[in-house]
Amino acid sequence: MSGHTIQLATISAVLAGTIMSGTLFAETHKEYRFNVGPRAGVSVNNPYGSVSVKPSTGNLIVISALLSSDKVEVDNALVGNRVDVQSHLLPGADAQSGRVDYEILAPADASITLHSSTGNLRVEKLHGDVSLEGAAATVDVRDITNAHVHIKTLNGPVTLTNVQDGHVEIDSLSGNVTLRGVNGPLIQVVSTSGGISYVGDFGDHGDYRFTSHSGDIDAVVPGSTSADVSARSVRGEVHDDIPLQPKQHTSFVLKEGVALWGTMGRAAVSSTVVLRSFSGKIHLRKRASE
Amino acid sequence: MTCVELQESLAENESGSSAEQRDHLRNCPECAKLVAELLVIACSAGDLRAAHEPDPRVWKSIEASLRREGLIRPQRRNLSLLPSLGSQWSWARWMAPAAALLLVSLGIFLRQHSQTTDTGAQNIATPAPVVSDAAIAGLNDDDLLQEVGLQSPALQEQYADNLRHVNQYIQDAKNTVAADPNDEEARRTLMEAYQQKAMLFELALDRSLQ
Repeated sequence: MSGHTIQLATISAVLAGTIMSGTLFAETHKEYRFNVGPRAGVSVNNPYGSVSVKPSTGNLIVISALLSSDKVEVDNALVGNRVDVQSHLLPGADAQSGRVDYEILAPADASITLHSSTGNLRVEKLHGDVSLEGAAATVDVRDITNAHVHIKTLNGPVTLTNVQDGHVEIDSLSGNVTLRGVNGPLIQVVSTSGGISYVGDFGDHGDYRFTSHSGDIDAVVPGSTSADVSARSVRGEVHDDIPLQPKQHTSFVLKEGVALWGTMGRAAVSSTVVLRSFSGKIHLRKRASE
Repeated sequence: MTCVELQESLAENESGSSAEQRDHLRNCPECAKLVAELLVIACSAGDLRAAHEPDPRVWKSIEASLRREGLIRPQRRNLSLLPSLGSQWSWARWMAPAAALLLVSLGIFLRQHSQTTDTGAQNIATPAPVVSDAAIAGLNDDDLLQEVGLQSPALQEQYADNLRHVNQYIQDAKNTVAADPNDEEARRTLMEAYQQKAMLFELALDRSLQ
């Protein structure tokens, strides 16, 4: 066999391999449209892959799905005023071949429920309730108003940005939770070993409760903030850079460096802020620009 | 095994560890969630082992609450306080008394510790019970990890790590409550610690998240 023949055979083999792999993992794009009424619901269960939800115009739900291979199908149904979407894994599917990435447009008042193991979950510019659940999924929620936001993750990081007038409940075993410009009647974060970071002004008359067993809790607020603050770390440390007016009565013993309890700003419009950790550090700081 | 059969089988094996139960739980997130929550309730109830029988008023209070919620009716032939497992809405009807049981369990646990602490400060330093919550509930954390290992071996180490941390969280929260039983925040933290463990089981048993 001549050198030229060998070269041709090699090129052919490479081309054939490329074509075969392209066939095995051929991406497919699918789109589904649903007309819904006010306050519709969208539920997506996607074991592998990302889900992004943005507002649509009118009462239309548009679901764009990018399927990684023919090992996965998209089951969808309109039930009443609710659209249910399920990534249906076929035999032999794994995290790569079973991946589906969704981009969804939904009415701004729709309630959203998303499940994913590993993909990014992103919801923005809505005012319907949001419920997100994932193991290692990265969660990003932004520009949400007047809604319930419930999030559960195993170790995926959670970021909330500009959530106004929200009822926010976040549970994460070990993922870090970051809140920027988040306020409302109830803002609660519970973590076992993840850190919690809050940057904002604690609103007014809200109930803010951040608890982590071993993660650090860091709150950065403007000097104009009004809040009743209680912070305690059983085995860690508590620091504050903001002068607090001490409370007359406290429900626990205040030890320097591990607990604080006082009021900042105007008590009449104060929110209640509770920061708890067992072995993490708690730091209450004034925003650097002031 | 159907969902109804699974729920009925929990009367015999509440941990969901039989082969048939496990097969069903792998493919049914709702049943997996129910079993996870029942296990945590069982864990909480384990704290009551040394407690005396609750005051009859406690049971009357539960019964009154259930009547108000319409979960039981006064003139029915079946006088059991537990709702039927066979109907379509058995989930919701089960969860209300289950939640009530959990709250009552926690309340009695806290009351018991409150009384213990009042009798002398030296009791605060009493070591934690040797018997773990898991053992009391008849389940083993290892079973959970084994299940995760079967479904998704790559996640097993993460679950093991989180399980270790959340168990420590529960133990620390218990110690804090024992040190100051009147501390409302500490009691709430203990409840949150249990909820974290419930969430870990829920995530582990939810096949769609693996």
